[in-house]
Amino acid sequence: MPLKLEELRRTREQAREEARLRSGKVKDLMVCCGTGCVAGGGFRIKQALEKEIERRGLKDQARVVGTGCNGFCGQGPLLVVMPEGNFYGWLKPEDAPTLVEEHLVHGRPVEKLMYVSPESKKPVPLLADIPFFQKQMPVVLRNKGLIDPERIEDYLARDGYQALEKVLASLTPDQVIEEITRSGLRGRGGAGFPTGIKWRVCRQEKRTPKYLVGNCDEGDPGAYMDRSLLESDPHSLVEGMIIAAYAIGVARGFVYIRTEYPLAIERLRKAIASARQHQLLGERILDSDFAFDLEIREGSGAFVCGEETSLIHSIEGESPEPRQRPPFPAQVGLWGCPTVINNVETLANVPMIVARGADWYSTIGTPSSKGTKIFSLVGKINNTGLIEVPMGITLREIIYDIGGGIPGNKAFKAVQTGGPSGGCIPGSLIDLPIDYENLQKAGSMMGSGGMIVMDEDTCMVDVSKFFIQFTNDESCGKCTSCRDGSEALLEVLTRISEGKGRQGDVEFLQELGPAVKDASMCGLGQTLPNPVLSTLRYFQEEYVAHVADKECPAKVCKELIKYYIDPDKCPGCMLCLKNCPSGAVKGESKHVHVIDQAVCTKCGECLEICPPKVAAIRKVTGKEARELRSLEAPIPVKEWRARRAQETRAREGR
Amino acid sequence: MSCEPLRSQPVGAALVVGGGIGGMQAALDLAAGGIKVHLVEGRPAIGGVMSQLDKTFPTNDCAMCTMAPRLVEIGRHRDIEILSLSEVQSIQGGPGDFRVTVRKRPRFVNESKCTGCGTCVANCPVHNVVQPLEPPRIELEPAYREQVAGILARHRHRTGPLMPILQEVDAALHYFPEGVLRYLAQETGYPLAHIYRIATFYSAFSVVPRGKYVINVCMGTTCYVRGSQRLMDKLSESLGIKPEETTPDMKFTLKSVRCIGCCGLAPALTVGGEVYGKLTRKDVPDILRKCKEAA
Repeated sequence: MPLKLEELRRTREQAREEARLRSGKVKDLMVCCGTGCVAGGGFRIKQALEKEIERRGLKDQARVVGTGCNGFCGQGPLLVVMPEGNFYGWLKPEDAPTLVEEHLVHGRPVEKLMYVSPESKKPVPLLADIPFFQKQMPVVLRNKGLIDPERIEDYLARDGYQALEKVLASLTPDQVIEEITRSGLRGRGGAGFPTGIKWRVCRQEKRTPKYLVGNCDEGDPGAYMDRSLLESDPHSLVEGMIIAAYAIGVARGFVYIRTEYPLAIERLRKAIASARQHQLLGERILDSDFAFDLEIREGSGAFVCGEETSLIHSIEGESPEPRQRPPFPAQVGLWGCPTVINNVETLANVPMIVARGADWYSTIGTPSSKGTKIFSLVGKINNTGLIEVPMGITLREIIYDIGGGIPGNKAFKAVQTGGPSGGCIPGSLIDLPIDYENLQKAGSMMGSGGMIVMDEDTCMVDVSKFFIQFTNDESCGKCTSCRDGSEALLEVLTRISEGKGRQGDVEFLQELGPAVKDASMCGLGQTLPNPVLSTLRYFQEEYVAHVADKECPAKVCKELIKYYIDPDKCPGCMLCLKNCPSGAVKGESKHVHVIDQAVCTKCGECLEICPPKVAAIRKVTGKEARELRSLEAPIPVKEWRARRAQETRAREGR
Repeated sequence: MSCEPLRSQPVGAALVVGGGIGGMQAALDLAAGGIKVHLVEGRPAIGGVMSQLDKTFPTNDCAMCTMAPRLVEIGRHRDIEILSLSEVQSIQGGPGDFRVTVRKRPRFVNESKCTGCGTCVANCPVHNVVQPLEPPRIELEPAYREQVAGILARHRHRTGPLMPILQEVDAALHYFPEGVLRYLAQETGYPLAHIYRIATFYSAFSVVPRGKYVINVCMGTTCYVRGSQRLMDKLSESLGIKPEETTPDMKFTLKSVRCIGCCGLAPALTVGGEVYGKLTRKDVPDILRKCKEAA
């Protein structure tokens, strides 16, 4: 057997053996060290636990492992104790002594740090019993929270690089492509182009050299699956890329990552270095004739660079504007050479497909969309986090079973998928099975997989305005339709949200949207009207209310709302007065307060601060706002109450 | 100053000095009015500075698209005579009756026959072609010399070196001083305009100095719906600067960024690579204090 291959297998066996020996005797404390949990103090908790274990001389019985993103970011910083799978959330470094004392020494799980089920209000000890994890299907994220992303041994112990071994030992490049094509894998970046076909086109190109690019320029606001993937299991991307390179016939690859993801860059850099050490990258990979190397290129904060031709220009050091396609990058790409650009999640699917076979993979999902998809479930939702679910799952399952519903039992209004290129799917389509075609039909798109949940307090005009602002900012300016079209859309939306909408504005949006779509060159322009068009399709009455009645039904648009203090309820406690940042609340102690509308900036601080049992402050809009008369000046509460009592008596007396 | 009286009959010829876009348009307008025009230009060809521009203010129109039709029209116009490589020596007379001496430098090429094919340049044994003067070499300010030279040495031989170079220079200096950009242009062989374009395209780069701590407030959708704007307002108020500005003591720069992928922590911000999440306005003084203490 070739030397390097043997060495790799030996390392893997050793790692497995170690895990076997440990299991039962040693507890692994898997502390989440994804960006989310680190910001909450993940590293500090890890250190505190290590110190405590050291102090109590438990080093033989417990090991602390920093893992990548666990997914349940809403509960972070969090910890899972393996092998039992006890889940602890909302940790602080001060909890370390209790945890070690109770759980490790006495074997008693700590109830007060457990996840509490919102329905039964009871603590749930095990991760496997938490509904958030139950409906998920980890394929790409199979290793999340289970390995130390910085140790290649951990990845090897969980069958890592076995797919690569299989490929190099027994499959020809064409067989690999055939397998990927049969699996039905489609691009996870958004458009859903079949991966196998893309690879074949590039393989058939005669010109060399060819390049492979992993696209991790995850610019969609609200999407962070690629980042988490790299933070929790960078080797799955490296392995996927090596296999892809072998299939296509590529000797050099790049991973393009946003500079906003320093932790992911760091972990991938380490993964590439250790892969090189094990001769998984470089010349003669695992003693075969196949050579491939990988390089990281960072973006510098331009949304348009996620578009493939723009990304190519960015790597080349050219001005990162998209160009006309065809020719597609698979024919003319980096430095004019055939180039395959795949999303990071797509590439991370590859090892699993090769290892377990296309037949297995194609049993997951719907007829047209195979496999699983990672979504980031964010916004107005109880269980914020990263989820991996089979294609074809319904929105209801995602939002209510996994997401645990909307906070405060508010009504589910819409979910925004696909970032600024996607659209809003209304509550009425909650039973829609999620796949590429269904989302497209509903006027949205898969996009990279951000899912932003919106409740009844979200104004659809405001949401469209936000996205158009984003795309307007990020448009590179090459096509007039995109540059000026987004400007015009923004102008009209701003006008509508400020209550200056004119008759015909809604029709104008409906006309301009498709024009921008048709006339723009790249994906950014072709999809930028989607948020407007989809909200117009499902929530037209909201636009009409803004234009015709000057009313914002969700009470969001500042120019259309007023804050109003109900004199009957205001006890004159001065809370809102003290907290008003602009000094718009007038009054004194035991006087009914009045908001000076001319000064009020509508920040909403007063509404938040007013105690719920008083609830004297209301947001009003439209007709109500216009007709409501508040007091001219503050008057003593007693005087006001007396006046009211008099009025009531007078009415009754009559 | 006294003017000689106009003759009863104008001569009907005009001289335009300078073949830039203004001169070209003037020549065309005059010629359209039936007046013979002599267009004097000091350089070997008309076109002026505009021919070097990509886009023009304020309409962002492509400069060549504006110019090219005029160039062609002037070339074709029977009433316009182009005097290139020429200089006005003296002007005598008054309105309606000028006498101008123009000195024309030799071109050694018969302009009426030349098609501009360029074969002579390629075949010239001594390469005696008109070349612009060698621009003076740019030396870096001593403050940056070592850092920038080191970065250049590390990356200049890579394929596609520009982005890694710019990223490292930005990380080291926090912005691009003009001298550094000029130096990079000279050393990498990229035109300065190209480097400047890249340096201003990406939002992570800056050509104005930035503070030691760059506060990036996430304005992604999730953070936005959870109130990042109010966070930004508070920061802006506490630091006394607007977004995208830097405090006078060069300590803080306030910036908004696109989603940093910490949606579980919304609203969030980063300072120097550290993420702060689940923030409210009340957390702002704490964050600023921490940075000040670290400094």
